[in-house]
Amino acid sequence: MGSVYLLTLRQLSGRWRIVIMTVLAAMPALIALVMLNSNEAPSVRDFETAILSAMLAGSITPMVVLAIAGSAFANEVEDKTLANLSFAPIPRWQIVVPKLLATITIAAPFIFLSAFISSYVGFLADMRAVVAVTVAAVAGVALYASAFVWLGLVTTQAIGIGLLYIVVWEGFFSGFVEGVRLLSIRHYAIALMHGIDPRRFAGSGHLSLGLALLVSVIVFGGFLYLSIQRLRRMDIP
Amino acid sequence: MTAPVIRVDGVSRWFGSVVAVSDISFDVHPGITGLLGPNGAGKTTLLRMMTGLADTSTGTVTVFGEKVRDNPPLYRRLGVMSEHETVYGFMKGREFVRMMAKLRGVADVEAAVDRAIELVDLADAQHRPMETYSRGMRQRMRLAGTLVHDPEILILDEPLNGADPRQRVHFKHLLHQLAADGRTIVLSSHILEEVEELADTVLLIVNGKLAASGGFRAIRAALNQRPYHVRVVCDAPRKLASEVLRLPSVDALNVDPDGAIVVLSRNVVDLQVELPRIAQAQQVRLKRVEPLDDSLESVFGYLVEG
Repeated sequence: MGSVYLLTLRQLSGRWRIVIMTVLAAMPALIALVMLNSNEAPSVRDFETAILSAMLAGSITPMVVLAIAGSAFANEVEDKTLANLSFAPIPRWQIVVPKLLATITIAAPFIFLSAFISSYVGFLADMRAVVAVTVAAVAGVALYASAFVWLGLVTTQAIGIGLLYIVVWEGFFSGFVEGVRLLSIRHYAIALMHGIDPRRFAGSGHLSLGLALLVSVIVFGGFLYLSIQRLRRMDIP
Repeated sequence: MTAPVIRVDGVSRWFGSVVAVSDISFDVHPGITGLLGPNGAGKTTLLRMMTGLADTSTGTVTVFGEKVRDNPPLYRRLGVMSEHETVYGFMKGREFVRMMAKLRGVADVEAAVDRAIELVDLADAQHRPMETYSRGMRQRMRLAGTLVHDPEILILDEPLNGADPRQRVHFKHLLHQLAADGRTIVLSSHILEEVEELADTVLLIVNGKLAASGGFRAIRAALNQRPYHVRVVCDAPRKLASEVLRLPSVDALNVDPDGAIVVLSRNVVDLQVELPRIAQAQQVRLKRVEPLDDSLESVFGYLVEG
């Protein structure tokens, strides 16, 4: 598994990709600073809605992860190098899991720093809230990574379809339609944040911590399973 | 006869309404088997099904008696080099071969990598990034990656693409050596002479069908008996045509409006000898003599129709 993991790390850590991720990850922290230095400081609810929910969980995290995870297999499919891995006499999960782990390894530090800095600034160094935001953001990375790795295996248009999903589903429908929140990674992350620090975010949650954990495990495991099955059954170019 | 190493049984594959491979059956035994056919004949699709990369629409492929599709452990005994020449450009040659060795569970990785790189004669370039390699060097380093776990079966899709003459000679020598060691090698090519030099057995694929199979001599004999169209341009076409038509090797003859003669012959060797002799005797000046259907596609077409 180590060979696939190291190969994927090298494949996905191209200079331009890192630059784009750095710019994206810096945005929540910068906007948090701007908001706090404005004449009217935002309430916790405003800060959570604008920066943590809409921006970090709903836009920046999925976009950063999409830039990485969407290419984990899609690049190999496009370059026709996937056969190098497919001809290895190893179970297919030993190809999918290291690719997923490499994706998380690259994307998580960016989101970790983004979440940590913006919540540290926004909540004036309240460490429990900072931990809640950071843990939830990193969990969001893992969930989005699992979904987008699968997407990269089923279509060569993973980036385009992923962006559409982020804007339409996570950004639009999940913000307005109550039932959609049960099928929204953004809202699982928010529910985790609420669960870890109910003191700071009391009364603003939509999913319970237990339910959020349960569906998170199902989503992560489900997409991982689908990716393994897809790799077993697809025609390798 | 011993059990076949690879058995392709009634295999078809279609993509929508396009039939890429149609009901092909054959067995492969140790030695070198050449899969010959024009571009687009279905060779790559067939090889992809033989290696488990692609599923069959109907039929089965077995290797050592086991189904090849969704059977990763079988790849311990199988080495495959696809037609795609893309490599991990950021990797050094040795890193690539080492990765392939680790993925294939080789016990003594460094020794296996040394041996594989030595086999393809690329020791001098092994520490260079592969993006700096020529096309032929990339192919050879990919071959090293294919050979590193010492597989019993080698399946190579258009392996001589991009190779220069010296590399071709080396490659042919290497394949003969591997076959002599008892390995089963299947290679594809659209170049007749390439397969003729390498393969003991030939499978001729045309339009997704198995047009002919067997020893190369039998296929060559069939090719030599096919009718040829030869176009002759001279300064007195009617005078030459009347004499050429008397040759027993000529089946038909036509004089085009532009004055060129098109001769149909089943014995092109005889025509090659007689045509200059008649021209000289009749004091006709030959300006141009060219075969009209010497392309591989027309050769295959003849065999299929035959």
